[in-house]
This record gives sequence, C-alpha cells and structure tokens, in this order.
Amino acid sequence: MKKMKWLFMFSMIFVLIFSLAACNSTSNTSGENDEKEDDNKSEESGTVNIGYTGPLSGPAAFYGERTLNGVKMAADEVNAAGGFEVNGKKYKLNVVSLDDKYLPNEAGANAKRLVQENKPPIIFTPHSGGIFALQVFNQLDKFIIGAYSSEPQITEVGNKLTVRIPPRYDGYLKPFTEYSMKNFGKNIAFLPTASQYGKDWAENLKAYWEKEGGKVVYNSAIDFTKETDFFTILTNALKEKPDVLFIGGASEPTAKVAKQARELGFKGGFIVMDQAKFDEMKAVTGSYDLLNGSIGVMPLVDSQEAAIPDFVKRYNEKYGENPGSEAGLNYIGMHVFVEAMKAAGSVDDVEKIRANMQAGLDNLPDDKKIYIVNKIGEDGGFEFDLSVAAVEEGKIVPIKVD
Amino acid sequence: MEILIQQLFNGLTIGSVYSLVALGLTLVYGILHIPNFAHGALYMMGGYITLTMMTKYGFHYWIAIIVSILVVGLLGVLMERFVFHPLRDAPPIHDKIAAIGILLFLEAFAQFVWGAEYQSMPTPYGQVVEIFGLTFTMQRLLIVIAAIVVMILLTLFLKKTFTGSTIIAMSQNREGANLVGINTKKVAMLTFMISGGLAAIAASLSAPINLVFPGMGHLVILKAFVIIILGGMGSVPGAILGGYILGFSESLGATYISNDYKDIIAFVLLVIILSVKPTGLFSKGGH
Repeated sequence: MKKMKWLFMFSMIFVLIFSLAACNSTSNTSGENDEKEDDNKSEESGTVNIGYTGPLSGPAAFYGERTLNGVKMAADEVNAAGGFEVNGKKYKLNVVSLDDKYLPNEAGANAKRLVQENKPPIIFTPHSGGIFALQVFNQLDKFIIGAYSSEPQITEVGNKLTVRIPPRYDGYLKPFTEYSMKNFGKNIAFLPTASQYGKDWAENLKAYWEKEGGKVVYNSAIDFTKETDFFTILTNALKEKPDVLFIGGASEPTAKVAKQARELGFKGGFIVMDQAKFDEMKAVTGSYDLLNGSIGVMPLVDSQEAAIPDFVKRYNEKYGENPGSEAGLNYIGMHVFVEAMKAAGSVDDVEKIRANMQAGLDNLPDDKKIYIVNKIGEDGGFEFDLSVAAVEEGKIVPIKVD
Repeated sequence: MEILIQQLFNGLTIGSVYSLVALGLTLVYGILHIPNFAHGALYMMGGYITLTMMTKYGFHYWIAIIVSILVVGLLGVLMERFVFHPLRDAPPIHDKIAAIGILLFLEAFAQFVWGAEYQSMPTPYGQVVEIFGLTFTMQRLLIVIAAIVVMILLTLFLKKTFTGSTIIAMSQNREGANLVGINTKKVAMLTFMISGGLAAIAASLSAPINLVFPGMGHLVILKAFVIIILGGMGSVPGAILGGYILGFSESLGATYISNDYKDIIAFVLLVIILSVKPTGLFSKGGH
C-alpha cells in the first residue's frame, strides 16, 4: 500500500513538471500586431508573417533574445519605411516568436504550429539541433529555414530550402591554427563547451591541428550548466604544459575560463571558438590585457564596414547594449530575405524566394551592409570574407585571412 | 605533489559552497520533511541581490552580502508563511508541488527583472596569491574561511542556545515540541530565515568565481540533494561532511581518473555509502 502511495507521488511530480513546463511555452507575438490595423485600411497592403523559434527562457535565453532582436530590428525598419512592395502590393512584416528552450523537439513542434497558424514563408532558428529538426519537414510544409548556425553539416544534407546565415566554422581552422602555432607553439589543450556544437568544433580543430604537426595534450569539455568553478579542470589542463588553450561557448563563462587560466599562471595564447565574442568577454575580464594572444572572430563593433557605426547606434538606442554578431547576422539575413521576396515577386512561393536570394544579396542597400556577403552558395550558405581578429597588447587587431 | 595539494584546495573551495547550500536544505528538511526544491532559486536570488546592491547602490561587498542575507531570509519566511504553513496538514505531495511552483516562479521573476544574460559580480578580493607553487585567489580563501566560520557559528547556535535547541527539537518531533511549549510557528519561520540566509551567503561568496544568471541555482541544487541524502536527511554534520566529500571526490576524481567521468565518480561514491549505510552517514532514524 505504502509503495503505491510513493508510486503515485512520483508520477504526480512528473505530471506536474511536464504540465508546468508546457504552460511555460507561451508565445510572444511581437508588438507589430498594432500596425496590422493600419494596414487593413488600404486594400493594397498585406502582412507577411516571419516565424522564429529559439531559446527565450532557460540558460540560453540571452542568446535567443539577441538573435531575435536582430530579426525584429530589421522587420521594424522595413515596417517603419512603410513596408515593402511586391507586385504592386505593399506588405508589412510581423515577427511571430515562440520559445523552444533550445530543444530540437520543441523547435519542431513550434515550426509545425507556426505553419498551421501563421503560414510564414521563413522560419528563423538559431541552433543546429533545431535546424536539423526543421529540415525533416520544411520542404514538405514549404518554408525556408533562416538557419543561424555555423555548423557546416546543415548545408551539406542537401536541403533545398535552408539558408545558412553565418559563415561555416571550418573556415576558421586554418587562420586560428597558423596564428597560434606561429606565436606560441604546437602543444594545445582543449577545453570547449560540452554542447554538440562545441564537440564538433573541437573534433575538426583537432584533426587540423594534428595535420599541421601539433599535439593535443589535454582534451575535455566543460559543461557550463553544471560547473561552479573551473579551477579543477584548468589545473589538470595546465599540468600538461600547453602553449595554447582552445576555449569556447557562451562569451561570459568562456571569459571566466580565460581569467581563471591566467590566475593559475597560464602565459600562452587562446583559440576562442566563434560562439564567444571578444567584446562580450571583455565585459567580464575588465580589459583586453587578460586576453592577449587570443585569436577569434572579429567583434561586430570593431569591424571596419561603413554601415557599422550607425547600426551600433540604432541597436543601442533600441536594446540598450552593443550588438554582437548574433543580432547583426540575423538582421542582415532578414533584410536579404525581404529583398529576395521583392526580386521573386512573391511572398509565399518559397522556391522562388530561395532562387532569388542571390538577387536579394545584390540589391541589399548599402546602409544595411554590416557584413560583406557577396554570394550565396549552391548549398544555401552565405559566403563571407571571414573576419578574424587577435588581441595583441590589449587591443583588437584584425588578422588577414587569405 | 603540487598538483595534489592544488586539487585538494580546489576541492575544499567547491566543497565549502556545496556544504553551505546543503546546510540550508537540510535545516528546512526538518520542518517540511521534504527537500525544498525552491532552495536553488533562493541561492540564485541571493546572488542577484548582492550583485544589485553592489552595482546599483554602490554598497561594499560585505554590506551587500548582509542585505542579501536579510532579503533572502525574509523571502524564506514569506515562503513559509504563505505557502508551506497553510499546507502543513496537507499530504507531503502538496509541499513538493508548491516548492516546484516557487522555483519556477522565482526563476521567471529573475529573468523578468534582471534579464536572461550572464552578469559578472565584482569582488574586492581578486588578488592572486601564490604560496609554495600553489595558486589561490583571495576570493577562494575567503570562501573556505567564511564557510568554516558560518558552520561553527551555526553549530554553536544550534547546540548552545535555547532558540537553536528549539529548531532541533522541532525537527525531531513537531507535536512533541509543541507539547513542551515551543512556538512551532516561530521556529518554522526562523528555520526558513536561516536557510535563506545560508543560500544567500553561499551564492554571494561563489558568484565572483562564476557568474550570476537565472539558472545558477541548478549548478548547486542537484548536488546539494545528493549531499543531504549522503549525509543523512536533516543532519547538520552530515551536510557539512557530505559537501566536502563531494567537493574532494570531484576534484580528485577529475585529476586521477577522468574529468569526463567525475560526476559518475561522485554518484558511485553515493551508491557505495548508501549500500553500507542506507540511511546516510549521520541519520537519526525516524524520518
């Protein structure tokens, strides 16, 4: 009898946890709804829904919010300019965002819901797990995935309606390896984040590093959702006397890892995975001096493109912080999609929109060009001139990539 | 050798934080007779309040910690008054549901008020100290020393003062305590106050070596559950010892066995201890 009671109790707890989790996934439809009313006044205008599914609660919420901010900001700009014209009809954008808590299955369910309720031609999602989940049915349900992940595999599976917005990370392997080997040495310790993405990155870097004659002296992942302190793992890694540390993950905990490595007396260089950004790391370490000898991606605010200062100013006014590439790349992605819809002459024929992405890139106005993207590949990936930076003597220094 | 001593120190640091969190959890266990799932959220609130006091109001680190202890302690009291006290005669499952509800509420609240992003807590004790090839930072020494001081004070309070004894009496037998004239309502509130205060101390001490974010409670709460099971539910010395055992097994396991399996090592240890002493190291029997 007592056993039954316990069993009942535990089953109740689980039911409760799941039901509460379910309640949690509220949808946040963004404020553009108000503007829809204005649209209805004139016969000639319509609304295009843009879907978004990403982590808006939980440990990765800040990341999801930043990516969503980029999409929203671009949409707001288009709407503020009176919408965009396709075949003589004016359209406004309405961003519909759903929370998937960083889970692929939730992303899939959200996308299904978006397709049924809002029929968006494009659904943005900022994590590779979610992108893979959406790729199962996006060609059938007719929507383009605005894929924000530098995982090369997402464009290698042959999905015709996937557009990869950021550059693929394997482009970084060569410049990062060359710089670190030249300046510090051939022994490296791996301490990436414990996500799938981090592990794939590490595997690719390991293969390249060893091909160039280097040696991986320590290899273990850090789970930022479980570790309170990084001294233990760093002590073990530094015991092997590495010249270079490979670190990465979200910027802030990555910065803590770098800081604690310096506290433990590490003098070598860092290879910083593309997920972490120098400017956000600086907010934790206080100055760039701690990060001297690091190589990673160029922070958006330090890029040289002409459109950057104005973009940074506008973003700051709107969201009260400096934009990173999460916001910037999704911002440019959204604008390219709008231009592609214009060029395709359709807001719902997704094959046609995808076919006109190149035209979209070509037509992108100069003041939106915060990144230089000249081409979209056959596979659906934006092709970039990689912008790589190093920290030398407390300053960000651009590194030329050939 | 140097590595061993360095790792023992690392284990001591992390064990101190675990112990402080587990202490609060084990005290409240005496009142609720269930683990308080919301304890991790109190830990997180402690971190945020200390951070806000320092960055927004410019308080000194120590003053910020004191404010945080009071605020989180008060939050604990409110929890007891408005949630657990009305449920005292309900089946235990109701307490569990309520605790999970509070946990979700507080996490969502923190994300709403302070945002989802990681924040960094400054500390006046960032200096690096090197002795005999070992590396400490002042903050880490502070964690170890402060934890020991808090533990001694708590033990003295529980063993040597009248008020402290009433807490122990109530955890042993609620009706009995009531019969000998102890005001159980007051004792329950006091226990929640202390529990919240301990969570605030633990969070404020450990936040400078990590970060402050809405999910930070998850880092420690699961481990604190393991610790109070290991040490014996409701036992104060069990929570202290259990915390250090887990801290050392993590740091030494990561060094001499494998970093990737260090959580498994801690849990294997739990299985071994529970097979030898099924009720935990210091169980008092009864519940």
